[in-house]
Amino acid sequence: MINRTFSIITLFVLFAATSLTAQEESPKDMNAQIIKGKGFISYPSYSGSPFLNTKFLKGEIEFLDGTKVKNIGLRYSSYRDEIIYFNDYLSAQIVVDKISLKAFSLNDINGTKRIFRRQNYDGFLTGERYFEVLSDGRISLLAYRKVDLETCDPSYSKLGLAYKQSYSYYIFAPDKGYAILKLNRNSLLSKFDKPNQKLVRKVLRKNGVMITDEASFVLAWNLIKENEIPVNF
Amino acid sequence: MKRRIIILLLLFVASSGKAQDKAHFSLFTDRDIYTSGETLLLKVFVPEGEQSGIVNIDLINTKGKIITGMSKKIIDHQADGFIDLPDSLSTGCYLLCTSTKINSSVTVKELYICNRFTGLPESNVALQSKETNYLVEKRDTSFQIEGLNKNYSTREKVSLSLHLPSEFLSQLDENLFVSVAETAPGYNSRTFFKSVTPGTNRIIEKEGVVLDGIVSDVITGKPFKNGTVFLSIPDTIPRFKYYITGNDGHFKFQLDNYFGKLQIVIQGFDREEKRFLKVVFNNRDSLTSVVPAFEKWSVTPELRKYTEDNTEATNFRKIFNRQELAVVTTPTAKPDDYPFYGLPTEVVDPQLFIELPNFTEISRELLPGVKFRTYNRKSSLQVFNPAQHNYFIDQPLVLLDGIPIRDLNIIKDLGSKEIDRIEICRDERYYGYLNFHGVVAIYTTKADFTRIAESDDVIKLKSDGIQPDVSLNIPKEQPLNEMDLRKVLLWKPSLKPDNTIKFDFETSDIRGSFKLIIKGKTRDGSIIYKEQTFDVN
Repeated sequence: MINRTFSIITLFVLFAATSLTAQEESPKDMNAQIIKGKGFISYPSYSGSPFLNTKFLKGEIEFLDGTKVKNIGLRYSSYRDEIIYFNDYLSAQIVVDKISLKAFSLNDINGTKRIFRRQNYDGFLTGERYFEVLSDGRISLLAYRKVDLETCDPSYSKLGLAYKQSYSYYIFAPDKGYAILKLNRNSLLSKFDKPNQKLVRKVLRKNGVMITDEASFVLAWNLIKENEIPVNF
Repeated sequence: MKRRIIILLLLFVASSGKAQDKAHFSLFTDRDIYTSGETLLLKVFVPEGEQSGIVNIDLINTKGKIITGMSKKIIDHQADGFIDLPDSLSTGCYLLCTSTKINSSVTVKELYICNRFTGLPESNVALQSKETNYLVEKRDTSFQIEGLNKNYSTREKVSLSLHLPSEFLSQLDENLFVSVAETAPGYNSRTFFKSVTPGTNRIIEKEGVVLDGIVSDVITGKPFKNGTVFLSIPDTIPRFKYYITGNDGHFKFQLDNYFGKLQIVIQGFDREEKRFLKVVFNNRDSLTSVVPAFEKWSVTPELRKYTEDNTEATNFRKIFNRQELAVVTTPTAKPDDYPFYGLPTEVVDPQLFIELPNFTEISRELLPGVKFRTYNRKSSLQVFNPAQHNYFIDQPLVLLDGIPIRDLNIIKDLGSKEIDRIEICRDERYYGYLNFHGVVAIYTTKADFTRIAESDDVIKLKSDGIQPDVSLNIPKEQPLNEMDLRKVLLWKPSLKPDNTIKFDFETSDIRGSFKLIIKGKTRDGSIIYKEQTFDVN
């Protein structure tokens, strides 16, 4: 008898729980209600990927007024420099209006949070761009994750066109603007005065850092930042 | 033993009395008697722990009907503002009620308002509340007012110093409120507390006013699930919000940081366009539960004379358009950099071209990629989708002065002369959970949206956002040949306490008895005050 009563109560509780969830049918994320954008139109299919992340990754966007929308599916189009958001309710891919955003971030498959900031670029091809913040501070280290559509050997792509990475790296200070960098030791050293170059070399040598790729460049930059070696640009 | 019990009982009563004070709003006004058409100034101390960020103040009549009101942001547990008393108010007793949407306690202050056209009734009979649960204030003797005489002449400058001992300052919880205003002889209004049952859908107003209501099916009358409710505020850049209803058909809009008077249009749509909906706006129009029992009292001859003079002064100020208040802070509008429907692909000003008689002609001649046709009295509109190289099958979002419209017959007669500009978005646009197959936004020269008629699913309403901050409008130099009929000489609703506070004011041309009132709230929640009367001859 006790067992029967227990099972009835369990069933009743389960029923109540399911009926409660059934009520939650309308979209309730109030902040997501203000995402403005236009429908995503697929890019022509060529070799290579026009996206930074081919699959939608969980991330957050921040509007100009500081409002944040968290835990939404995002994909960054390196080709168009656009952020695409997947609206579950409408099952639609939406290109979020760049003008409305301040920043966005993506959590990549390794769980690393990649932060992108919208900034006005005043160099060649001026305009609003999304820069990935590799290292933040008074002087930030930024990456512009651009993918270009370039001609290629027809053996590589039938149509003779392919999406190719053309990333650029900058150091940026609000009062000084942008200075372009290449991922090598000489380019890094060129941003320091002669006496400070020695210091930079010493720090890199002491920590065994060899600049060979983006990761080692960011590591070197962070070490310089830690040692407070003044940058001259 | 008996004595111990009595002491314990007394202690309990005392502590419960304090607790009661703490939980209530404290409401003060510049005066107790007003003339219709005047401006009432008010100050509210909000109890500790109040969750709401907005305090609502309503003026109701003796039957509980809400006449007018205002909403103000609570900053540091206090708020101050004003209410413009309508000219149409009949002479009698009125109640000023202070509460928030979630608080179950209402603080009520009774006022006597005299109609400036009809004056006091011949019978001299008036009503006054019989309420006993009223606000008790403690007179404080520790602080001193220096420089206030018993008598002043008209237009005399008065300089005062207020000395507050350090012990007193340490007790104070919030800013002080100081006022100098004319007093009415033989009338003392009371402030009392009433308990109310807040509604079932209690919404906390944090940064702005909340508008809510229910959408129901016109035929069945049942609450409508999955209905879309639009809220539009017409402006140069129209403001727009929407809500998708749940099972209960309830909708709510938080108008965060919307200030001043707002013209609002609320519309209800069935997303599948199968049903017609009825929008019922949850407009609180009465507060009957706070109305106390009344008793009669007779207006004294002195009070009759006072109200007659008061009416005359108000009429004078009205005729010569004397502004009682000046807006001190112009609140920043909500940052809307571009319309909710996106940056337009094209903006067309029809007045730059040859005059066209109707919208069909305008679309044909001036709007590339927009197809507007009327067959058998039914109009249709389509926007060209460049991505698909074809027209969108579905109707785009059509806005008239920022208000979405579905019946295109409203715009078919619009000619070039009546249109200021047309904005077109040719993309498939998204705004949160809404999807538009292109956008055509028409802005008329009149911008009065009279073409949109009210119906079951369309409500037009004038609502109040948060009231902006104001200060008393005291003219720097009043010419001698112009009467200065200010009844409030000083109004400092939020004065930062200090050991010595100095302030100046000038008496007006009104002769009579004036009262300087200083009030503050202590950390234990009680109200302390000091007042001093002087005459202007």
